[in-house]
Amino acid sequence: MKDSTIFATFVWLARDTFRQARASGVLAVLLVVSLLSIAVCASISVSGPASLAVGDENPDFLPRNDVDAADPRKLDQSGVIVADGTLGLAFGAIQVPLARDTKGAIQFLELLLAGGVADTLGLMLTLIWTAGFLPSFLDGRSISVLLAKPAPRWVLILGKYFGVLSFVLANAVVFVVGTWAAIGLRTGFWDPTYLLSIPLLLLHFSIFFGFSVLLAVCTRSTVVCVFGTLVFWCVTWSMNFGRHAFAASTDMVSESLRSPFLSELVDFGYWVLPKPADLGMLLFDSLGAQDHFGGLLDPEVLAAHGFSMWLSVASSLAFAAVVLFVSVRKFKTTDY
Amino acid sequence: MESMDVRLNAHAAAVFQKVTKIYHVGWTARRLVALDEVSLSVGWGEVLGLIGPNRAGKTTLVKILLSICRPSGGRIMRLESGLSDRSTLARVGYVHENPAFPRYLNAWQLVEGYGRLSGVPRGVLRQRTGELLEQVGLADRSRERIANFSKGMLQRLALAQALVNDPKLLVLDEPAEGMDLAARRLLDDVIRQRRERGHSVILVSHALADVKRLCDRIAVLRSGRVAYVGRVADLAKDTHSDETGPLESAVEAIYAGATS
Repeated sequence: MKDSTIFATFVWLARDTFRQARASGVLAVLLVVSLLSIAVCASISVSGPASLAVGDENPDFLPRNDVDAADPRKLDQSGVIVADGTLGLAFGAIQVPLARDTKGAIQFLELLLAGGVADTLGLMLTLIWTAGFLPSFLDGRSISVLLAKPAPRWVLILGKYFGVLSFVLANAVVFVVGTWAAIGLRTGFWDPTYLLSIPLLLLHFSIFFGFSVLLAVCTRSTVVCVFGTLVFWCVTWSMNFGRHAFAASTDMVSESLRSPFLSELVDFGYWVLPKPADLGMLLFDSLGAQDHFGGLLDPEVLAAHGFSMWLSVASSLAFAAVVLFVSVRKFKTTDY
Repeated sequence: MESMDVRLNAHAAAVFQKVTKIYHVGWTARRLVALDEVSLSVGWGEVLGLIGPNRAGKTTLVKILLSICRPSGGRIMRLESGLSDRSTLARVGYVHENPAFPRYLNAWQLVEGYGRLSGVPRGVLRQRTGELLEQVGLADRSRERIANFSKGMLQRLALAQALVNDPKLLVLDEPAEGMDLAARRLLDDVIRQRRERGHSVILVSHALADVKRLCDRIAVLRSGRVAYVGRVADLAKDTHSDETGPLESAVEAIYAGATS
């Protein structure tokens, strides 16, 4: 088997996935979401101080509609700063008073875009829509002809997997770079950490799409793939969040009430399964979410209970690798 | 009837030696013997007709040859190499009994794409794709989505994609199903052209008239076993059913178990 044929198969499957995405409508939907988000970002403007920080210190500040903010004498005495900037939307048609400085406002907006629009809405939409790609690819009548081509079976299944990943990557790049550039051009804030959300979104998707591939190879059912992947995402998110809540709560429970067996069981489930809450936390952390939301899951608190972000990501990736390996094995030994 | 003692070292496009296929079906993994020590060969430049009643194992046999199914036992040579050598598939063409292709592709994308997957050089692929679509009568619909194709058009497309790599071995599983008269004539021409060029064809069919007209030899499968292998012309004589009778009665006699 020539390497060039393997490469040609990978390339063809990637192109095939883009065609499939275009025909199924998911490409149009994701592009519309991206373009709408870019348009919103291209319509914003900010006014006010870029940062309320003085040197390395974050001073106390008040929003300008606060009662105390109207009294200049009080402000002078206390040294509290009034955040008096505004965020303009729809080319200034809507003026939103800022509760803090303009840099924070932009950071908050980027957080909503990456965490809310892309990592939640976009991820769910893409997982649901692309979950049907593999079952139709593996339909017995159409896959038979492809199996009679020289490319080994692992190339077919991994080619389709990476084809879907390349489609998601392309859309993530359009969304993130587009909104980043629009925000930068309109406000002058060019925060490069926002671009980190591209690999993080791809990482998050790749792990759960790997599970979808396994379901597709085992059942060839679109319904099972769509609902199975969503249920799996909910289960793993609950397991992930529950484990951290459980670990944090042990400090508040007396030693006599602690159950080592339950603790180990929860730990086992946590380490074996992928960890969507941790991946979300990684994304939020990299975008400075703690300045805006506080911490439902505070990495520093969790670190005291044996939590390591990199170990968490590595074990999620290991899960995806094992699931893909099992999928390839199953596909290689299936008669069509 | 020919000897069924097939040697693996025979120079042939395809050789099956005591090939067995057992499926395990249902929750109880019940054993279902689809092929039972099938021995058969297809020579170079030969058209072999593979016939048999439903569930005789015809499709399973060709799927094993094409590495779509795995054999439970026996040995198979494809283009004088073992099945593990997948590079030989670059010179094999296959028409599925009930073809289905990605509905979002158009005919051109499909034929060209499948040619790429078979390793056809880019330089010749474009020209060959155009020629083949012209040959099967789909040139004017080549940019139309496959989703809009009728069954007959899908069969023509299936034939075009099977020929894109200029196969030395062409496997046709019920290719005439749903074809109109013009397409059937085209199929006849394709099979004859392959034979003239020294390439081999396996034709799986229930249409005895097609087998009689196109095939050099015939193999009859019954309940997963080879019930008859021989020249089409010799079939009636070998079955002792009716030397002057039609092919149908000879085949029916084999299906009924008169000859084994």
